Amino acid sequence: MPPVFDTPAIDYHAFAPEIAMVVTLVVLLFVDLVFEERGRWATATVAGIGLLASVVPVLSLAVDGADRSLFGGAYVVDNFALVLKALFLVAGYVTVLISTDYIADGDYYEGEYYFMLVSSLLGMTVMASARDLISIFVALEMLSIPAYLLAGWRKRDLRGNEASLKYYLLGVFASAVMLYGMSLVFGVSGSTLLVDINQAISRGVDSVPLVTVGIVFIVVGFAFKVSAVPFHTWAPDTYQGAPTPITAFLSVASKAAGFAALVQIVFIGFLGREDVWAPMFWVLAALTMTVGNLIALRQTNLVRLLAYSSVAQAGFMLAPFAVAADIPADRGGVGAATGAVVTYLLIYAGMNLGAFAVVMAVARKTRSAEISAYGGLFAYAPGLAVLMGVFVFSLAGIPPLAGWYAKFVVFKTLLDAGTVAAVTLAVVAVVNSVIALFYYASVARQMIMEPAPEAETARVRVPGSLGAALGICAVATLAFGAFPGLIAQLGDLALLGVLP
Amino acid sequence: MAEFLRAYLTVAVFAGAAGLLVALLSTLGWAVRPSRPSRQKSIAYESGVDPAGTDFGQSQVRYYIFALLFVLFDVEAVYIFPWALRLEGYGVFGLVEMGVFIVILALGLVYAWRKGVLRWV
Repeated sequence: MPPVFDTPAIDYHAFAPEIAMVVTLVVLLFVDLVFEERGRWATATVAGIGLLASVVPVLSLAVDGADRSLFGGAYVVDNFALVLKALFLVAGYVTVLISTDYIADGDYYEGEYYFMLVSSLLGMTVMASARDLISIFVALEMLSIPAYLLAGWRKRDLRGNEASLKYYLLGVFASAVMLYGMSLVFGVSGSTLLVDINQAISRGVDSVPLVTVGIVFIVVGFAFKVSAVPFHTWAPDTYQGAPTPITAFLSVASKAAGFAALVQIVFIGFLGREDVWAPMFWVLAALTMTVGNLIALRQTNLVRLLAYSSVAQAGFMLAPFAVAADIPADRGGVGAATGAVVTYLLIYAGMNLGAFAVVMAVARKTRSAEISAYGGLFAYAPGLAVLMGVFVFSLAGIPPLAGWYAKFVVFKTLLDAGTVAAVTLAVVAVVNSVIALFYYASVARQMIMEPAPEAETARVRVPGSLGAALGICAVATLAFGAFPGLIAQLGDLALLGVLP
Repeated sequence: MAEFLRAYLTVAVFAGAAGLLVALLSTLGWAVRPSRPSRQKSIAYESGVDPAGTDFGQSQVRYYIFALLFVLFDVEAVYIFPWALRLEGYGVFGLVEMGVFIVILALGLVYAWRKGVLRWV
C-alpha cells in the first residue's frame, strides 16, 4: 500500500505574478505562430501588456502585506521579493519599450525575441523569492539561458557572435564553480534551505575549511553574474556586441538578479560566517570600483564606457556586503545593508536604462555609439542632450539627481559600520566617485562643446515607445533625486521576511 | 587577521591539492604502465572501428534539431511515467498539473511544426 498523497496547499496568490508571466509567454507564442508576418508588430504590445499585468498581483500582494512561505520555506514572498519583482517587471517593460523599433527595424526575429525576454524575466522574479539552493540555481539558469541567446541576437554580426559565446562560456563556467560550492555547503549542512544552512554552519562547525571553500565558490559564481572585478572580463565585449536594448537589460535586470541572489544567500544562508565573506566582499568591492573606473577613463565608445561604468557601479553595490555584519543593531544591522543594496539597484535601474535609451535614440541618426559622434548634440537635439546629461550626472552621483541618494545610502552604511575597514572602503569609494565624474563629464563636454562631425545637424526623430521609455527613466531619476523619501521607504521596506 | 588568512589558506591548499592530484596520477600512470607503441595503437579511437575520412567531418544540422525535439519528449516521459503509476492517488490536482505541463511542452512541438522544422527537406 503506497503512502496516501496529500494534495499540497498551494497559495496561488503568491504565484500570481509568475503565472501571469507564463500566460504572457503562451500568448506571445500563439500570436507569433498564428499570425506569422501579419502579427509580428503585435508581439511587442503583448509582451508590454503582459509585463504590466504581472505588476498587478505584485501590488495586490504588497497591499496584503503578509509574508508568504511556500514549499517548506524554499519559496518566500516577502517585501524584499516584492520590491525586486516590481523592479524586474518595470525594467523589463522599459526594455520592451526601447526594443520595439530597434527589433522591428532590424528585421530580427520579433516573436522569439520577446518570448526570450519574458522567459528571462520569469527567472528573475523566481530568483527574488528563492530561499533554497536548488531554487536559486534553477532561477539562475532560467534567467541566464535566454540571456545567452539574446546577447547573440544579431546572428550575422561577428561581434554579436563573440558577445553571445563569451557570455555563454563564462556564464556556464561560473555556474559550474557555484554548483561545486553549493555541493560542499550542502555536504556540511545537510540541507539546501538557506535557513537550515545558516543553523548548521554558524554554530561552531568541525568542518570549517569546507565551509570556507563552499562560500568562496558560491560568491565567485555570483561575482561573474554581477561582473565584479576580476570576473568582469566578459562584460565589455558582451555589452558591445549584444543588441543595445539587451545591453541595457543585462546591465540592469540581470545584474539586479545577481544581487538579489547574493543578498539572500549571504544575509540568510551565510550570516554568522562573516569572517569568511566580509573580507572577500571588501576586496571585490574595492577592486571592482577602481578597475572599472580606471578602464572606463580610456573608452572612446559610449556603450563600452557605460559597460565599464556599470562594472564600477556594481562595486558600490558590493560595498554594503563588506560591512553588513559590523553595522550596529540600532542602525539597522544587516537590514540596513540590504536596504542600501536594494535602494542602489532601484535608482541605478532608472538612470542606466535611461542612458542606454538616449544612446539608442542618437544611434538611430548617427549609426554610431562612438563618443566622438556625440559632438554638437546639444545644438541640434537639445532635448536628448539634456536627458543624457541628467542620466550621466546621476550616474556620477551629482545632487539633486537620484544617483546622489544611492551613493549617500552606501556611504551611510559604511560610516555606520565605523570599523577601520569600512572607513577605508568609504575613502576608496569617494576617490572613485571623483574619477567617475571625470569620464561622465567628458560625455557632457562632447555634447555641448564640440561641433557636430561632418556638420550633420538634422533633427533626431525619436519614436513614441523610445520616448516613453526616456520619459519613465527621466521621471524616476529626477523624482527619486528630489524626493529621496520615496525611494528610502521602498529601501526600508525591502527587508528579508524570514531571517534566521 | 591571522585567523582570516588561515581560513583562506584552505582555499589555496584546496587548489594546490587539485593540481597535485592530477600531476601525481598522470606521473604514476606513466611510471607503472608498460610502453610498447605500435601503429595500430596510435590511430584515433572510434568505437573500435577504423576511423574513416579526415578530422573535419560535417553532419546535417537537422539531426541536431531532431535531437532537441527528442529531448522534449524525453523530459515529458521522465515525469509522466511516475505520475501515471500513481494516477488515482494524485486525483484531480495531479491531472490538472500534468495537463498544464503537457500543454506547455506541446506548445514547443507546435512551434517546431509551424516553423517547418519537422519537414525533412
